[in-house]
Amino acid sequence: MSTNYDFDVTIIGAGPAGTAAALTLAKGGIEVVLVERGQYPGAKNVSGGALYGPVINELVPNYWEEEGFERFLTIKKISLLSENKAVTIDINNQDFKKPPYNGVSVTRPKFDRWLAKKAEEAGAMILLDTVVEDFVWEGDQILGIKSGDDIIKSKLTIIAEGSSALLTEKAGLAKFPKPEHYAVALKETYELPSDVIESRYGLEKNEGFSNEMLGYAEGIPGGGFFYTNRDTLSFGLILNLKKLTKKKLKSTDVFEQFKTHPYIQKLIQDAKMIEYSAQTIPEGGFKHMSKLYGNGVLVAGDAAGMVLNAGLYIEGMNFALEAGKIAGEAAIEILKLGDFSSNGTKIYENKLKKSFVYKDLKTFKRAAKFLDTDRIFTKYPDLITGLMKKLLKNTGKPRKRIVKTAVGYILKRMNILSLIKDAIGGWRSI
Amino acid sequence: MSKTEKVMTIDEKLSLTKLTTDKNYEHITINPEICKKCKTFDCVYACPANCYKFAEGEEVDSPIIFDYAPCLECGSCRIVCPHGSVDWHYPKGGFGVEYKMS
Repeated sequence: MSTNYDFDVTIIGAGPAGTAAALTLAKGGIEVVLVERGQYPGAKNVSGGALYGPVINELVPNYWEEEGFERFLTIKKISLLSENKAVTIDINNQDFKKPPYNGVSVTRPKFDRWLAKKAEEAGAMILLDTVVEDFVWEGDQILGIKSGDDIIKSKLTIIAEGSSALLTEKAGLAKFPKPEHYAVALKETYELPSDVIESRYGLEKNEGFSNEMLGYAEGIPGGGFFYTNRDTLSFGLILNLKKLTKKKLKSTDVFEQFKTHPYIQKLIQDAKMIEYSAQTIPEGGFKHMSKLYGNGVLVAGDAAGMVLNAGLYIEGMNFALEAGKIAGEAAIEILKLGDFSSNGTKIYENKLKKSFVYKDLKTFKRAAKFLDTDRIFTKYPDLITGLMKKLLKNTGKPRKRIVKTAVGYILKRMNILSLIKDAIGGWRSI
Repeated sequence: MSKTEKVMTIDEKLSLTKLTTDKNYEHITINPEICKKCKTFDCVYACPANCYKFAEGEEVDSPIIFDYAPCLECGSCRIVCPHGSVDWHYPKGGFGVEYKMS
């Protein structure tokens, strides 16, 4: 074949997966173009969001000396919510407050732009406002991309288009999505001066916390999230699309109702809403990931369904960063070996299998099914918050022993068989 | 709720987000022939931007009124529609949502 290639590798999407791939390839001296449909990297992107420090550090050593992130996360709170009640577990780990930092909060227009700049500095070319509509096909081999009248030819294409995965389907690697395997996240960003954030939530300078919330969302699997950024707050609610539509409830109404909870009202009190956003999340887990490679093509991140839903948190961005990096490393090897058929591109899957991305998704493969139980999202938050109220309420009467009160309270409200089933399910899945 | 916690409407919330509408290209189209027979209306429930609304009045062609302009490009409608009525594309370059702080 005497094809003239414009680049060795074309990457679709300048989110964490695509940009990590571009950065890795550019560092390896490969001619790579990163194509982004947004006005800038991050313009179309929404996340909770926290990233693992060590993962960023591998891509950009000493990243914390720069401006890409929001706050170092040292505190993780998990709240169970029910009508007028909340029980919160507060895990405070000050060991996380040193480089490379365990986790950092991010906002995507800032983080994605920062990371893309790193890729650009390393030699990657970035094309903005560029929507990929199809691939360049030669038989069943993908040889680049088409955008309007423009064609970019390349030996390899990496799809990192995010959750909508239109091109992953077009490449024949994913099936049409099913609502049970997806959630919609509704998010509001609030403005609050950094010193107010620090004094209100008891944080030091640049320190932050995350707060996941379960319950009080009409029993729809998913949950709330809250993150402190430098001078903004990220707050949102994730709702499984199948359960939401089956209940005939509007996502916007469930979100507004969720927001009326006193615990949440207190979190966002006096803060000014400055942006509203939404995104879908593939949460089908290990069993519903796309095929990861094909003739001339690799897929990474949300587009491939690399999202872990472990109930108390939904994890996608870290997987995207790591999978993008691995896709970049695999692409370097594939280019060296010169076999761009699926026999050659399989190197990517083999490499990914050794990473935490694949291993974690596999470890938690039963979680998606377990979390399908409505009990997790209504019964248990109600039960635990109700029990705490019963234990703490001052009635003026003598108290019973705590264990006796607890067991009596739970058994009166829960079927013992469901409890055992959930205990086993929980044990097996998480 | 106290006066400071006034509930914002979706339209008010959407006005905070930068959206550039492409007047020459509807990136999502629905098939009215299919929507006419719909009994589930999953798009109305799922859409976080209220792009899909119930049509009011007796003499309507379709039970759903659709407007692509407020779309946040989340893709929910395409996923939830059990009838395959939603033809979903990415907006053209330079159009659609442009997040600053999300």
